[in-house]
Amino acid sequence: MKQAQHTNEQLKNASNVALASLLNLTLLPVISFIYLLFIYKNTKPGQIDHYHAKLGIKLNLVAFAALFLVSALMILLGGFNSPWTWVYVISYFTIVHTIFIVIAVWALVRAWSGDKLTKN
Amino acid sequence: MKYQSQSIARLYFIAAIALFIGQILFGVTMGLQYVWGDFLFPAIPFNVARMVHTNLLIVWLLFGFMGAAYYLIPEESERELFAPWLAKLMFWIFLVAGALTILGYLLVPYATLAEMTMDDLLPTMGREFLEQPTITKIGIVIVALAFLFNIGMTILTGRKTVINLVLLTGLTGLAVFFLFAFYVPDNLVLDKYFWWFVVHLWVEGVWELIMASMLAYVLIKVTGVDREVIEKWLYIIIAMALISGLVGTGHHFFWIGTPDYWQWLGSIFSALEPIPFFMMTLFAFNVVNKRRRNHPNKAAVLWALGTAVMAFLGAGVWGFLHTLAPVNFYTHGTQITAAHGHMAFYGAYVMVNLTVISYAMPIIRGKQANNERAQVIEMWSFWLMTVSMVFITLFLTGAGILQVYLQRYSEAPLPFIVVQEKLALFYWLREFAGLVFLVGLILYVYSFFAKGKEVEIVEDLDMKKAVTS
Ligand code: HEM
Ligand code: HEM
Ligand SMILES: [Fe+2]
Repeated sequence: MKQAQHTNEQLKNASNVALASLLNLTLLPVISFIYLLFIYKNTKPGQIDHYHAKLGIKLNLVAFAALFLVSALMILLGGFNSPWTWVYVISYFTIVHTIFIVIAVWALVRAWSGDKLTKN
Repeated sequence: MKYQSQSIARLYFIAAIALFIGQILFGVTMGLQYVWGDFLFPAIPFNVARMVHTNLLIVWLLFGFMGAAYYLIPEESERELFAPWLAKLMFWIFLVAGALTILGYLLVPYATLAEMTMDDLLPTMGREFLEQPTITKIGIVIVALAFLFNIGMTILTGRKTVINLVLLTGLTGLAVFFLFAFYVPDNLVLDKYFWWFVVHLWVEGVWELIMASMLAYVLIKVTGVDREVIEKWLYIIIAMALISGLVGTGHHFFWIGTPDYWQWLGSIFSALEPIPFFMMTLFAFNVVNKRRRNHPNKAAVLWALGTAVMAFLGAGVWGFLHTLAPVNFYTHGTQITAAHGHMAFYGAYVMVNLTVISYAMPIIRGKQANNERAQVIEMWSFWLMTVSMVFITLFLTGAGILQVYLQRYSEAPLPFIVVQEKLALFYWLREFAGLVFLVGLILYVYSFFAKGKEVEIVEDLDMKKAVTS
């Protein structure tokens, strides 16, 4: 595999933001996101750490919308006291949440090797 | 294949796949009985079909584990198997004992089977997954001991690697915990304790070691990543598995008449149980990303990655879903449990066996990898089985949520059987997904026979000559 040119500092940053993105989706929501924004501010466009910080922010914003907004909409439309609402919300939330986690894991290993999410 | 005796694995793999087909046939039978109660009655009652379905699952997974061990241990130990004849003998003993037991379930009433096999001398029958007559259980122990002796001697007199030692530890644990199947106290609470010491400590304990080492072996082979890297991961994974899984048994002791502290211990420790499965995903992704070669067996790589993801999904996510005591209070023994049971068993242990088979079978049959067409068919079967299992899980989860709500959560709870009627739609959908699974399985079997353009053989897959991308 080709090894792109990155400084150690950038590689470390990239790994940290990718980890923060994963943590925001799992154990440490909000705090990790603030950390992510913080690192993002200190990176330069075109660099790998900037790329991963931006990716993490985008991923988490999309995840927030897909998980909380869509679920809230389901509850609003379906009604809080309908069992069917919960059939949809719980199944949907669980599977979609997992998909985002798996993407974040892939982003993390890509950051470790100094690569972008997809080839090229 | 470096050592002649590795080819013994082939026998075990073929038996495993044959029993897998049987398992799924009984699964779809039962899925239909769920919505059409009289289907095949009285020839195959639901309870008998269920016993056959789950027992075939366990037995074929054991065949798979043993086959995998016979394949990878000689290579890891850098010597022929200690006693190939013993491995062959044990294969036939295990197969005949297994077949007779299944026939016993199907042909005579369970009580008669207990009488015929003189269960009253040492009663051990009647517990879920461990329904086998005592004499079959004794047979299993003999086979397991001979097997452990065989691979143990191979490892002890050969090269010791982290992979073969972890595998040996896992398999020894499997045999040791099975011994609890012989202890059936009269006190129902104690009885449940010991039953879970087999069932839980298998799937959420020692089997994880077996799984992690099988996965690590295939990943080393298909990615060419350094052994040292993989070994470090293995240590952390097995440490996390044991730390969380042992006390995690407590998530089965919430409501069975045990002391209250289990609600805390069980919830806290089992909440950590997803970690080793998560680590396996991270590990598999990481080494595939860092791969130093593109192995011609693409199907095996797909199975390996699929195992890592699906085990995390089925065991980690769907396990966590109902493992905290306040949640389990509502979900205990509902379709949520069945949803989790299916995806976890499939994602972890079915898939890891298929991963090793996918990697090893072509080599046993004298080529690096299957021809392209066979691989494409195999990958189709991967997607059909995996996606349909996701749907089986989702439909059962939907059924489970509705069940919990109507039967346990609502202010005016409905009786069990009234609720079941209301779940019929989900059960039909589950049956449909089950049939798709069966199609995937048939395709899988067909892939072994499919002819096509042979893939380019890379003479020596050592690092220096490896194809890198
Ligand atoms: C590959 C690993 C696993 C497999 C094969 C597996 C399989 C199963 C099966 C078959 C059952 C149903 C047992 C029965 O009552 O007949 C079960 C129950 C359960 N599993 Fe797992 N499991 C795995 C991992 C996990 C993990 C990691 C967790 C927690 C994070 C978990 C949490 C539970 C809980 C709480 C129950 C009890 C459900 C109830 O109260 O009805 N499992 N598991
Ligand atoms: C490799 C695939 C499969 C695996 C690993 C598997 C595994 C299992 C396990 C572990 C149980 C016991 C569950 C528990 O105790 O909670 C079970 C029960 C069952 N399985 Fe499967 N199964 C598979 C495929 C299927 C298919 C394709 C169907 C049919 C559509 C099916 C239908 C059933 C049914 C109806 C039960 C009984 C559930 C009950 O007692 O209410 N299974 N299976
Ligand atoms: Fe458990």
